[in-house]
Amino acid sequence: MAEEKKGRAVATQTAAKIPKFVRGNLSATLKAHEEGKKVAYAFIADGQDEIMRAMDIVPAWGESFSGVCAAKRDAEKYLQKAESDNFSRSLCTYATCNIGFDMMREEMDGQMPEGAPWGGMARPDMMIGSGQLLCDPRFKWPQATQHYMQDVPVFVGSMYYPPFDPNTNHHEQEKFYVKYAAEELRECVKFCEKVTGKKMDWDRLAATVELSDKTWDLFIDTYELRKAIPTPMDTGDAMNTMVPLTFNLGTQEAYDFYVDLNAELKQKIADGVGVADPEKYRLIWAAGLPSWFALGDFQYFNGKGADFPVEVTYRGCEKIERLDLPKANDPLEHIAWRWVRYWTHWYDKAMKRPGSTPKVERIIEYIEDYKCDGVVFHSAFSCRSWHAGIIHQAETLKRVYKDIPILIMEGDIVDISSYNEADTHNRIDAFLEALEAYKKRNN
Amino acid sequence: MTDFGNGNGLALAEKYYSQYGLRAKELKGSGKKIIGYLSALGPVEIMTAAGVVPFRLKGNVSEAITKGDAFMETIVCPFVRNVFDAAVKGKYSFLDGMVLPHQCDSIDRTNDVWSYNLNLPYWHFLNLPHVTDNPSVEFTKELYRVFIGTLEKLTGQKITDAAIAKAVESHNENRRLMRELYAVRKMNPPLLSGAEMMKVLVAAMSLPVEESSALIQNVTKEVKQRTAKSDGKSARIMLIGDQIDDVAIIDAIESTGASMVMDDLSIGAKMYWGDVDATSDPVQGIAERYLRKLKIPTTFVGSKDTYPEILDERYGHMKKFISEFQVNGVILFIYKYCDPYGFEVPAMKSYIESTGTPVLYLEDEYSTSTLARVRTRIEAFLEMIA
Repeated sequence: MAEEKKGRAVATQTAAKIPKFVRGNLSATLKAHEEGKKVAYAFIADGQDEIMRAMDIVPAWGESFSGVCAAKRDAEKYLQKAESDNFSRSLCTYATCNIGFDMMREEMDGQMPEGAPWGGMARPDMMIGSGQLLCDPRFKWPQATQHYMQDVPVFVGSMYYPPFDPNTNHHEQEKFYVKYAAEELRECVKFCEKVTGKKMDWDRLAATVELSDKTWDLFIDTYELRKAIPTPMDTGDAMNTMVPLTFNLGTQEAYDFYVDLNAELKQKIADGVGVADPEKYRLIWAAGLPSWFALGDFQYFNGKGADFPVEVTYRGCEKIERLDLPKANDPLEHIAWRWVRYWTHWYDKAMKRPGSTPKVERIIEYIEDYKCDGVVFHSAFSCRSWHAGIIHQAETLKRVYKDIPILIMEGDIVDISSYNEADTHNRIDAFLEALEAYKKRNN
Repeated sequence: MTDFGNGNGLALAEKYYSQYGLRAKELKGSGKKIIGYLSALGPVEIMTAAGVVPFRLKGNVSEAITKGDAFMETIVCPFVRNVFDAAVKGKYSFLDGMVLPHQCDSIDRTNDVWSYNLNLPYWHFLNLPHVTDNPSVEFTKELYRVFIGTLEKLTGQKITDAAIAKAVESHNENRRLMRELYAVRKMNPPLLSGAEMMKVLVAAMSLPVEESSALIQNVTKEVKQRTAKSDGKSARIMLIGDQIDDVAIIDAIESTGASMVMDDLSIGAKMYWGDVDATSDPVQGIAERYLRKLKIPTTFVGSKDTYPEILDERYGHMKKFISEFQVNGVILFIYKYCDPYGFEVPAMKSYIESTGTPVLYLEDEYSTSTLARVRTRIEAFLEMIA
């Protein structure tokens, strides 16, 4: 996602372009007003990307900015600032880091706080949140931020998908979930039209959505190249190469990035170049956001002959054809179907394996497809949305699949006070020893 | 049927509070189906209409988590963890099933942890939205219809609109009666202590609606016969939070001589203010009530044009409570790891303080293990406002 203090070597040249991408996104927010554009605080995986892109609204991604602060190990002052106004340290630190930054900028009448990482992020003209079956901060964060920027309007939409229940036919429910998601996206369009004073260009939106679909397909085609042995790219890079998909969906730059990455991975495979040399252990990063201040841990794995050809985190897309989407003439309805099916398309498979769940089924699918020997989860203490339920995933995986070695690492996304490098490396060493024994037993 | 004869309301509340689930077990023994639920979002009207007994789960603040942590992360809301721990230890083994409304990440991200480990005959996750606009109401109605279908399958009985409308009337009457009981606390000094009220609230959420109403009526009658015992000069405190369901905190407040006269808790005023409107489709009124009238931080409120108006929309009811109940200090008690409430703190605190009412903000566990520290802070706060 971003550079870190020590500088992390990347296995692909294409991933090395990411800091420029992230800086570009931040500077776009700073230049927006000069270019007559509006800035929106926005949150990833909300399904609202294409609406903003089609209306020339510049998204200001708080999660990205907080990640940058963490990677530069420069988040503490913002966390403390938020804490000074009673935001608990146990809350989402992406949010509290960003709110602390906002508080400082507001106290300086909108001037950028000195030393803001990579030039900082612009004051928004609007905030677009989302209520979901995923992450409470996506709607609480903009609401809390409005306390410090009271003139900035907030919109919160809803993007839901049917919950998995092995006793219920989710196909019967998909239709009303899609109807609801499409209506909420329409509310989002109305809000954006009101704030920008411009009408949505529906043809442009349709073209943007089409480009997103192409990007989803290319992303998966590219990432599936990592099935090669040795893998030409691992999760350490993927935590960077997710940026165009996650923060720039619906732009040509995002698509072009994956064209380059695809070409580079093919070349590496042709040359037999892998991440770990030799590649002794292939692992899956099965859940959890990384500690942005400790991305070097991936290199630690690599140095021990372990790499990650696949991860669940930030793989927020699927080949469109695998989703079997009904034809929709309305681009918002298409986004809604794509959203719902992205989540539900693992459900049928999970129902066929008693005791399994879609999340576990996805991990099993990746373990098989990418020939993984072990599983790593990361549990970040300040984030319930991605990290509550990991123990159950790990236990279910062992129960319904096989007794595969599993490591659950602990830390945080932004708050470095939770991290101990020596302990983390000791746990990795112990896990790899167990993995070695497991491989010997099974060979 | 329990004896609700005159004069034993508070004693009965004490019994059901201290032996939580006692009546549900009796009803189970008589052939009733007991459906447990978490949070103020549990649609009790629909469960009552289905002929099952809605039973709200609570934990035990005096009991350490000894089993649940093996299955559920410690970053989850301490209340949810504690209730789950009680459930996996078998405290609620009399349940026929559970409905888990989508209140927050701590609930929805652990849905499969609950359902797998409890392995009850009936399970339903009610995927309620956080947004309250018209599409959200329509969506919620669809969710309720799915929920109704699952309950019909469980009981083998059709749930008619007439049955739902009747259940709505019963629960509205229950809320009206509880508000009547709250009203006796407007007096200075209040005729009912905060600890007594807590016991009534907890007992009420464990009973079928008709029994709950009878209990409340009985308590109200009993309390109204009392005469004030003190000079009415003690501090009058309002407690705000989610599911605080034990007298420990209230005892910490009232042992200093202060009175807890009002609350905005998810088992208290949040539950009992805001009735279901009688609508031609009864599910419409239920959806509107749970999305728009239930003031909890997990529903996004912000339809007004200006921030002060939005704050009034979110917290105006608290201002009203402060005035009506002559509150002169507010304790905001938030559980650790709670994003929905935690992100509200600065806005809520400053809103209440703008009324001239001091606020003590406490972040803590669902446990008495930290009570000594909490008590010290409460005592200091009460001294300050004395």
